[in-house]
Amino acid sequence: MKAAPLPGNEIERLAALSDAAILDTPPEPAFDDLTHLAASICGTPIALVSLIDRERQWFKARVGLDATETPREVAFCAHAILGQELFLVPDAYEDERFADNPLVTGAPNVRFYAGAPLATSDGHNLGTLCVIDHGPRKLDEAQRSALSALARQVAAQIDLRRANGRLVKLNGELVARAREAQAVIEQRKAIERLKDEFVSTVSHELRTPLTSIRGALGLLEGGVLGRLPDEAMELVQIARTNTDRLVRLINDILDLEKIEAGKLELSPKHVDARRLISSLVESLSPVAAEAKVELWADVRGEVELVVDEDRIAQVLTNLMSNALKFSPSEARVELGVEVTAAGRVRFDVRDRGPGIAEADLARLFNRFEQLDGEHRRKVGGTGLGLAISKAIVEQHGGTIGVTSKLGQGSTFWFEVPQCGAPREASPRFET
Amino acid sequence: MPVSKVLLVDDEPHIRRIGELSLKGVGKWKVVLASSGHEALDAAARESPDVILLDVMMPGMDGQETLGELRAREVTAAIPIIFMTAKVQKHEVDRYRELGAAGVIPKPFDPMSLPGQILDILASYASTRA
Repeated sequence: MKAAPLPGNEIERLAALSDAAILDTPPEPAFDDLTHLAASICGTPIALVSLIDRERQWFKARVGLDATETPREVAFCAHAILGQELFLVPDAYEDERFADNPLVTGAPNVRFYAGAPLATSDGHNLGTLCVIDHGPRKLDEAQRSALSALARQVAAQIDLRRANGRLVKLNGELVARAREAQAVIEQRKAIERLKDEFVSTVSHELRTPLTSIRGALGLLEGGVLGRLPDEAMELVQIARTNTDRLVRLINDILDLEKIEAGKLELSPKHVDARRLISSLVESLSPVAAEAKVELWADVRGEVELVVDEDRIAQVLTNLMSNALKFSPSEARVELGVEVTAAGRVRFDVRDRGPGIAEADLARLFNRFEQLDGEHRRKVGGTGLGLAISKAIVEQHGGTIGVTSKLGQGSTFWFEVPQCGAPREASPRFET
Repeated sequence: MPVSKVLLVDDEPHIRRIGELSLKGVGKWKVVLASSGHEALDAAARESPDVILLDVMMPGMDGQETLGELRAREVTAAIPIIFMTAKVQKHEVDRYRELGAAGVIPKPFDPMSLPGQILDILASYASTRA
């Protein structure tokens, strides 16, 4: 007897067999049916789907045989998987490789053998579909062709099984990854909630004492308790102004925190630009009067837009306050509003201040960026106003910019689409 | 809507004092003070103020619970309530509106314009309910 040599791709072949997860599984109708068909077409008492494992051949489906496996060294199929064609042994007694094979000399008394290799789609012969008879014989052309065709069907079933196994595995990995991602999202949400809570608490704890300080100074300055001596009034005003500055800084930091967390929420509504500008000019007129600067506004035509009124007012207040702060006395700050040819609403705030060097223009909209240390002390900004304004304008789908030359004043401008806010929301609460 | 008597509820004694001076000195109104939600329920029933200024963050019964209790009692159900609070993030303000507050005055407030702010809120509140 001559045992079959190992195929050249034995390691990969065994891996593919293991990948199919088919060894030692219960019988399945798809394989049984094809095996019965093979026996029936070829007219043999025995037909098998044999899979060549490392040291055995194991039968996934069998007709006319009780054994479920035999040693590999005596397996006819171990020879059959070495080639790509139908492997035929018309008479084992006449073939030196098999004449003294115990399967030939004893049960099940193999004399005739025909095995078609089960070639997977990636080219591994995992086993055979074979037919066996107890006497010498031949298969006609139609039977050989049918046996090969049935073998391809068996191989296709095995391929399907491997693909299915890969899908199940992949699905398991995907589910695991999705779970991991969900856990990360939950964790981030928890951190965000803690951060929100922290910001809210800190804000509250800062505002509470400031309410008493601001209130006490306001009452003194307002003369509710009688008129103060001039110098006392001056000191109270200094304290009150700086308290206001601290409150603005807290508000700005909260705004910035929201912007960075992507939580700047807009409450858009229809806004009449003329009414908005007139109320802004009115609210800023005491500051303008104090700075001895004229505030001049020009709204060209009827300008209606859908924006978050409070936030756009915040941007305009910031730009106009800056313009007032940096204007020399007796100068004029001009605010222009118009609808552009592209259907956007453009706001221009022009001042006759010192202007900004070209090299500094790019830095202007950065956080905590103040160009002029001396001026900052005089005008008392937080350095966050332009960064916040930029975020608000961009959230409206707009753009903000500045043109300026040293000694020739500056024009800060922004444009927003007429329906700049992303959604229509209920009107903002009256405060 | 004319105002002659205001109930100010805040657990911070300094803020109660500032509010009282503002409402009396600038608004020329009668002021009733309460330092907790429970005190506010009694004072509101006893004094029938024209408006209640209510802090949100208070130990024990907070401002939102106090509003609920005031609304649930027949004698105080119709009194307009304005939250005066340092908690004024958008979602917080939205929540106060859902609860049925007439408005919100953020802390710190300007004591000289506080009475004017209250009158503005009440006018707007009255117009939405008319």
